[in-house]
Amino acid sequence: MAIFGNLNHMSLGDLLPLLSVQDGALEVFNLENHPRVTLYFRDGLLQCLFVAGRPADSLVARSIVTLLMSSTRGSFEFVPGAPERRCPHLLDWPLDRLLITVVSVQDEMRELERRLPHPETIFRKIRDEMPEDRRLADFWKRAQGRLDIGASAQELAGRMGMPLEHAQYYLFKLRQAGLVMPVRARAQRRSMGPSVAARLIDSLKQRFFGGRQAWNH
Amino acid sequence: MEPLKVVVSGPVGSGKSTFVRTLSETAIVDTDAFASEPIGKDMTTVALDYGTLRLDGQLLYLFGTPGQQRFDFMWDILTEGALGMVLLVRGDRPQDFPQARRQLDYLLSRQAVPYVVGVTRQDKPPVWGPEEVALYLGQPSEYVVGLNATDPKSAVKPLLRLLELML
Repeated sequence: MAIFGNLNHMSLGDLLPLLSVQDGALEVFNLENHPRVTLYFRDGLLQCLFVAGRPADSLVARSIVTLLMSSTRGSFEFVPGAPERRCPHLLDWPLDRLLITVVSVQDEMRELERRLPHPETIFRKIRDEMPEDRRLADFWKRAQGRLDIGASAQELAGRMGMPLEHAQYYLFKLRQAGLVMPVRARAQRRSMGPSVAARLIDSLKQRFFGGRQAWNH
Repeated sequence: MEPLKVVVSGPVGSGKSTFVRTLSETAIVDTDAFASEPIGKDMTTVALDYGTLRLDGQLLYLFGTPGQQRFDFMWDILTEGALGMVLLVRGDRPQDFPQARRQLDYLLSRQAVPYVVGVTRQDKPPVWGPEEVALYLGQPSEYVVGLNATDPKSAVKPLLRLLELML
């Protein structure tokens, strides 16, 4: 039995149930702006994921599976019984749960689209505490060093090899958890002295209130 | 004396153009165009609004930024070297608050610019007050001012607060 095709005809979400009952390797290639991905399956588990021949850790693997789920450009071919390569980051993810998690994250990201932070907003760590959510914890472990000094989603996505919107999503969630905050540049620069400000205030009050002081009452 | 620049920013329809028009002592230069996507009004600012105020011999430029996200590169350009920034948000459109927070976080994390937030439409209840908006944005209450952008005496409040915070 051969399993092959194109992601615009069959999504990874459609494929996963088929792959949960057989062992082997799924090659995904001809992706848009993304190197070849190889996923190894055994006993209904996603064991390991390689990108361009390099093993991905759980954080990157999760991002890539999410990306593949929404990809409509790319070809795939399943090699049944393909011998598993040495896997330094064993994932052991049950496919049914993986499917549910990825779909719900995709839905949430779609829902949050307009609320996600700007790609270049710089965030900094404000609390040293491991998030309970495993997905967040993986991101937190990898990003902490950068977030100590301040980093944007764009920078983190580039360094971690994940899609930008995933890094935006993680920063949004970490902010909700009270672990990071956008850097505030407030009061780091004063472009004029207090005497100039006072003069302008007087002039504004004169102009708009005829000099009366009770503008804010 | 070198002219000083105040940048007026905020989501689409927050009252930026009105604010600049209300306070400017000269005819404002605007760059309105027909909106190319549904944003709740026919015309929108695509580059900037520009007005002036002369205060005790000091020229003040008022620059209004475009509110649509695809013009976000303009926020940075206009905010650079500014005396301060007024970020406006419509108090009767809580659905715009996330966009306002996104914009504020972005600009404040990149530029050390003094700022205040102005909550417009205070004359048109029901409307969120400045205290509630400050809580939502995670800002100290003194940084958030309520106003009616069509009334000069009210529109000037964010400018006054901005300057007071520099004292």
